[in-house]
Amino acid sequence: MAAAPLIQIQDVSKIYVTGQVRYEVLKQVSIEIGSAEYVAITGASGSGKSTLLHIIGCLDTPTSGSYRLQGEEVSRKDDVELARIRNRTFGFVFQSFNLLGRYTITENVALPMVYRGVARRARTEKAKALLTRVGLNSFFSHRPSELSGGMQQRVAIARALANDPAILFADEPTGNLDTKTGLDIIRLFGELNVEGTTVLVVSHDLRVAQHAGRVITLEDGRIIDDRRNAAAEPAKARTP
Amino acid sequence: MSPLEYLRIALEALASNKIRSFLTMLGVIIGVASVIMLVSIGEGAKTYIRSELMGIGSNLLIITPGKTETSGMGHPPSGGVHKLTIEDMRALEKRAPALAGLTPMVVAGAPVKFGNRSRDVLIIGTDEQFEDIRNLHVEIGSFLGKGDIEAHRKVAVIGRTVKKELFQETSPLGHTVKIGETTFRIIGIMEKKGTTLGVDIDDLVFIPADTAQDIFDQDGLTQILAQVVNENEIERAKDQIRQVLMRRHAGEEDFTMITQQAMLSTAQSILSTFTYVLGGIASISLLVGGIGIMNIMLVSVRERTREIGLRKAIGAAQRDILIQFVIEATTLSMIGGIVGILLGAGIAYSAKVAFPVVPVDITGWSIATAFTFAVLVGVFFGIYPATKAARLNPIDALRYE
Repeated sequence: MAAAPLIQIQDVSKIYVTGQVRYEVLKQVSIEIGSAEYVAITGASGSGKSTLLHIIGCLDTPTSGSYRLQGEEVSRKDDVELARIRNRTFGFVFQSFNLLGRYTITENVALPMVYRGVARRARTEKAKALLTRVGLNSFFSHRPSELSGGMQQRVAIARALANDPAILFADEPTGNLDTKTGLDIIRLFGELNVEGTTVLVVSHDLRVAQHAGRVITLEDGRIIDDRRNAAAEPAKARTP
Repeated sequence: MSPLEYLRIALEALASNKIRSFLTMLGVIIGVASVIMLVSIGEGAKTYIRSELMGIGSNLLIITPGKTETSGMGHPPSGGVHKLTIEDMRALEKRAPALAGLTPMVVAGAPVKFGNRSRDVLIIGTDEQFEDIRNLHVEIGSFLGKGDIEAHRKVAVIGRTVKKELFQETSPLGHTVKIGETTFRIIGIMEKKGTTLGVDIDDLVFIPADTAQDIFDQDGLTQILAQVVNENEIERAKDQIRQVLMRRHAGEEDFTMITQQAMLSTAQSILSTFTYVLGGIASISLLVGGIGIMNIMLVSVRERTREIGLRKAIGAAQRDILIQFVIEATTLSMIGGIVGILLGAGIAYSAKVAFPVVPVDITGWSIATAFTFAVLVGVFFGIYPATKAARLNPIDALRYE
């Protein structure tokens, strides 16, 4: 028996009901994503790509359908188990960084480790290592507001990596960044993918799609395209 | 996650908004401080009354004519009853062995004159035993002696205030005063005692009991003051008194006995109620402080919606968020409680030092109760905002602007 795929989505629908209006954001979507894939989910605004990402990231629940993560049905898990998955298996990067302003960036990066129960000293060490990894080794005790947008997004990526996640989720990670900074961030994802992390990026930034090994396109709640991007493979080679 | 981590998160959140945290705590601070201050006053009043009542002598039993059904402070005699007489007292002296001593009291108000000065005072007609039983002592000269009583001498012992008002600097010993129309020779001056239970002890004049009955035209006694040999004999003493007096009063129990203990417990129970009422009123402000905490916590949950969403996204369970916010609210109320205790006890203590007449008694139980109540208020009023925070949908929370 072959090992279960990392992510297996079967006939997933998401329906919002606001008053009299019934709004179907995802319509019977099915996908499988394997380990160490670099997947870009694209589509126009309102196509349901963010909702799909949130469902896969266990931040949202589908109205119907099945979602198996590492072979286990997610809908049967309770809040504590889901929190554990988000904490240890997933890492999230958001468009608006979502750093906590009252903490230093080191403390921000250490935050997921707080919920994992890592001792203070160990998590500070790890946070500093991660910040060094994303090139912020001279800003350990700065607060997010003292950094540029690109730097803040790198802090957010370092935070997403704090518990060595199997899957890294990014929701429009370059949306608030200028072209060059955005490209740096995209390259960083590429590097992480090469190191073995599954990367799932929602973006309408074409460059993201160019770097990803697989591009899934959504339109009106359905997958209209799912293709392997052979041209992206040399991304590994391009990385210095 | 260890409790210490939750506490650290809570303290960081509170420290990031110091003025708001302080103002929120202020409600609890004022609440706790007022509970402690008001309860201290109530407790102080209790201690004060206790020492006053104990100061009038020990193991006292007061016998008054007329029957009152309720225990307590007693009532003036109603008509149609036997009066209490000196003979009643003599009979008790002989046949009530549980009593260590007895002294009669005839109380009336009258003007006392010396030269052209006059003062209206309370005259107490009594005997030589009064001094010991009632724990009031003569300072200069002597108290009424057994001989003075037996010989029906017209002698008087005066209080300090009476002496000062009538004689000023002259020594009154050997001088005569007029009480009503009768002339009395002064044989002693009482030591200064001040006011006890509302009666100015220094403004009294003591004369022999039967002389008092003569000049005020009374054939009964206002009361008989009895001292029981020890506190274990009080019930037996009451039985003996009842037996002796009923036989003399045609089988009727037309007199009332009040023990010092009964007076004390009545007074204490009134003052306890008073204390609880004061404490209860102060607790309302503590409750209002709690509502203040809830209010601020609700605002805080709303402001930190995105933070809550983020924390959930990176691995906080509902439970973690709930605990974080409850601890935050409880920390506010706990710090408020501690500061309130220091403030309340500080004010109560300063009041005691600055105005020794104000009875203030800072009790451990009021501090413990106020603090516990404050913490419970924090937990109680923290739970609703914390539940709200914990139940936030992470996606909605992250998108919140």
